[in-house]
Amino acid sequence: MPSDTVGNGALVPLSGDPPALYPLHHGLAPPICRLSISWSRGNSLRLSLFSAAAAKVVEVKLTSEDPEIPDAHWRRIAYGSVAPFALLQSRRSSLSTLMKSPSPYHSDWWENVLQYSKEIGSLLGGSKLPPSPIIEDSKTIVKRGEEPTSLKAAWELIEIFYVDKQSQAWLPERLVDWLADYDSLFTSTHETIHGKLVDFQKELVNIQVIEDDPRYWDLLSSALSVGWLDIVVKMLRLHGSYQLDQLSNRELENGLVETVATLISKMPRLRPESGGKLGECYKSKPDFIKCWEKWRSQITKLDCSPFWIQCDNQQTVEGLRNLLQILLGNTDSLCMATCYWIELYISHFLYIRPFTMGIESMYNLAQKCIQLKPQSNTHRLTGLMVGILEENTEVVLAECSREFGPWLVAHAIELLTARSEQAEVLLHEERYNLGGISIVELHRLVYAQILSSHALTWQIAPIYLTSCMKQGMGLLENLLYRQSVQHNNVLLKNIEICRLYELDHISSNIMKIAGVYHWKHGHKGAGVFWLQQAQDSSCLDRIAQQLFDSVGKSISDESFKQWEGMIELLGSESKPAGGLEFLHKYRDFKKSLQKVSGGKSTEIARQAVGSLMLLMKNPSTPQRFWLPLLYDSLKLINWKDCPLLGVSETNLLLNKLQDLSLAKLRPNYTEPSLPPDALSSIRLALATNLGRAILDE
Amino acid sequence: MAATAIHRFPQYQYVDAVRWLPQLSPLERFAVLALFDFDSDASSIQIHSLTPNPFSLQPQFSWSLPSRISSLKTSLFLRKPLIVASTAAGSLHFLFADPSDDSLNSEISLPEGALHSVPASSVDLMDGGVECVTVGEDGKVNLVGVGDSNLSYRRLFDSGGLVSYTAARWASTVEFATGGYGFSLQWWDQRKPGGPVSHFKGNWDKNSSGIVHSIDIHPSRKHTCLAGGSLGTVFAWDLRWQQQPIMLSGAGAGTGAGNTMVQSISESEVWEVQYDRCIKSNTSSTRILPSMICSEDGILAVIEQGEEPVELLAEACAINSFDIDRHNPSDVICSLEWEAVAILTRQ
Repeated sequence: MPSDTVGNGALVPLSGDPPALYPLHHGLAPPICRLSISWSRGNSLRLSLFSAAAAKVVEVKLTSEDPEIPDAHWRRIAYGSVAPFALLQSRRSSLSTLMKSPSPYHSDWWENVLQYSKEIGSLLGGSKLPPSPIIEDSKTIVKRGEEPTSLKAAWELIEIFYVDKQSQAWLPERLVDWLADYDSLFTSTHETIHGKLVDFQKELVNIQVIEDDPRYWDLLSSALSVGWLDIVVKMLRLHGSYQLDQLSNRELENGLVETVATLISKMPRLRPESGGKLGECYKSKPDFIKCWEKWRSQITKLDCSPFWIQCDNQQTVEGLRNLLQILLGNTDSLCMATCYWIELYISHFLYIRPFTMGIESMYNLAQKCIQLKPQSNTHRLTGLMVGILEENTEVVLAECSREFGPWLVAHAIELLTARSEQAEVLLHEERYNLGGISIVELHRLVYAQILSSHALTWQIAPIYLTSCMKQGMGLLENLLYRQSVQHNNVLLKNIEICRLYELDHISSNIMKIAGVYHWKHGHKGAGVFWLQQAQDSSCLDRIAQQLFDSVGKSISDESFKQWEGMIELLGSESKPAGGLEFLHKYRDFKKSLQKVSGGKSTEIARQAVGSLMLLMKNPSTPQRFWLPLLYDSLKLINWKDCPLLGVSETNLLLNKLQDLSLAKLRPNYTEPSLPPDALSSIRLALATNLGRAILDE
Repeated sequence: MAATAIHRFPQYQYVDAVRWLPQLSPLERFAVLALFDFDSDASSIQIHSLTPNPFSLQPQFSWSLPSRISSLKTSLFLRKPLIVASTAAGSLHFLFADPSDDSLNSEISLPEGALHSVPASSVDLMDGGVECVTVGEDGKVNLVGVGDSNLSYRRLFDSGGLVSYTAARWASTVEFATGGYGFSLQWWDQRKPGGPVSHFKGNWDKNSSGIVHSIDIHPSRKHTCLAGGSLGTVFAWDLRWQQQPIMLSGAGAGTGAGNTMVQSISESEVWEVQYDRCIKSNTSSTRILPSMICSEDGILAVIEQGEEPVELLAEACAINSFDIDRHNPSDVICSLEWEAVAILTRQ
């Protein structure tokens, strides 16, 4: 866009596709006076709408959803690909440490990749179609087990060319199978043989004399041209001459149909096994060539036979002879029979050049076919196919990324490098223009970002991030910090990931955040727990001061039960409690004091004095508790039967009182809420006790 | 243990919890799933029927709820299955479900804010479904009485947030146990209000502690509380020997007094623990009865005191909850992090 139009505040003209419209349901009464727009999670926009009286926040999901695969299915693919990906990465790293070289390029490496490819491929299966009826309908021509998807077609195509070393010898036949599985996908953009067959099948019930319908013969030659032998033979057997009442007077015609059908079902194929399909399979090339020649000579012989003249059904004769032309590899017949260039391309493999060829000549052939069948609309698989035949890894990656998204790129890269050291170097090389990371890392990072943006998939992003040497760990730390601490489940899953990747400093920071969050929201116990787990004594110290404010007031009254659990949680001295362990001793002291208040047992009183002395000696006992503690203990100090405190103990307490009077002069001293005569009564009690103790000793 | 048949059923929604529905007839079996759809922000409780041949799980009924489910329990009430669910918004829902007759389904609920103020509360339903205990991170302990068409509730205790509770389980008609932070357990008696009757705090590991996520109490041993929580920890607390927990599994297990050489099957969160009703153990034995656990690192296993743990399932993702069928204890249903449930049938 020219920059000056923007500067002038003029509207920028839209180019390309028409804009997508998203209706908003905000339910606010107009007029809307303010509108704020920001990005939310993933592909969502967050709109905040303000009207005069109310406000509402709505999220609008900007769908870039794949029309073939809904989001929930995408997530299932994402989950399923984690284990194969992680396994392949661990094999790669163990192999490269074994070989002491960064590249795992190895003669058998492709077998690992093939296993990975098969596992991923099995995830991509479309939804299963309802099972076909057990009694086979003679009029069903096209059958399918599952709804094919472009994603699976793309994956298989890459696997055929880049991974499977064993099938290189019968690459053309694998492409024939590939087209048989996925020809229906191309129906969305242009006419295909599969589409025509499906249309014809719908009308089949209304057709009386099938061999009189020109479409019947057209479709026969089309299906034959791409090697769908089963369909051709099945359709040939629908020919009217097979009907019992006609068999006698159409004997010759039927003989010709059956001969062609037999020839077709005996077509030699250079492939390891038929997979339940018609044709005779040969594994070795010499065997295949021998039979191919023999089969061709049979066709030529039939083509020259005098029976054709004797047969009086002209349409049957023409149709069958056209089928023979296809079998003989007549270029014009093949071109007529096929709908678009890939179909024509496949027919060339089958009938003109049935022997394997190098990838270079495959590309030349593809170009020729594209010239013969030019198209205005191209399917997204076409670009990928051309890129593969061109042997251009960058084009293949670009097509994968543009048409199928980050998931395919991140996972298919493993296939591209399976057998080619050159691709390995190209994709793993660190690039200055990518900020020092490789193409592989770039695509993994992009995919990981997509995973991170969804609440259900962020947990698998670490698998991909940790396989990125340069930027992965930084982004992982980012991801972990970003998760909410509000819900325990998410928090604990987050901490578990930290544990797995030994990111102790992050988990301790997350625990601190959680601790402060819970503390702020009034869950004091949970807050203290997380801060203790994080060993954050400075934070605990600070909240201790807040806690003491409430302890002084409430711990003595009936709400003591509330504190009980909290004090249990703090423990006595095991963990850093930031001065909070004082509460434990305070609780013990209060308990023993309660016991004393009822009875007159000197023994129990002695224990209470022990608790008191522990508290007063402990440096972590806050100064502001000294006076209330002593005031609570008046009964102990004034114990009737005998002095419970010795001389040195009494002196220690008197010294504390002295310290307190000095502390009073400081500006931040808080006066405990005690009766005005509290201090003097403590002094008196201590002095009396000192006298009794001296006498005793 | 002999072969275990495992069936996985993708849900395309997050499964917050799973339970079996108590069986009314041996021919019909149902599972209750608490689902949350992140794409549309909708949460629901669904009853799925289980058919054996071919083995399939089909949704039958669905209720939509205002918020995500944090805890789900099932029981029988007046010979009818009763489902109770607490939500993240703090509301509590009772569903009287009768899958054999759609018209008998009904729901009563307490709105958010009535019982708890914060997310994540835990519920347990008394056997027979008369009373329900709910506890929450806000430190409130409530008892909800289930009537035929109405609910009554009272607050038994409120710690004011000083203590948070994360799990609850009835022991008898008057006693129940709760669990919380710091591997703590509390024992409550309705007849003694004002606070828990007894406390337990796990402090076997000086450096790290954890949270109790789940408690189970066996009807034949009401004095023993089985608890599972962080760091793969499973322990039993016997009220008669209060300060001596019996460690059954866990990272910190080896350090506990008298608990040397405890096998640990997991080191991550144990999300749920239940006594395994499948294994017939000598009930007069002093040993802790065998139990089943599920964990964040994807383990579903049976552990028994002094025995090697038996792993039933090792998934690539977390197993967040499970339930053993009371009527067919060999059958276990569990919810997987990756939007699926799995059903195991032990031979």
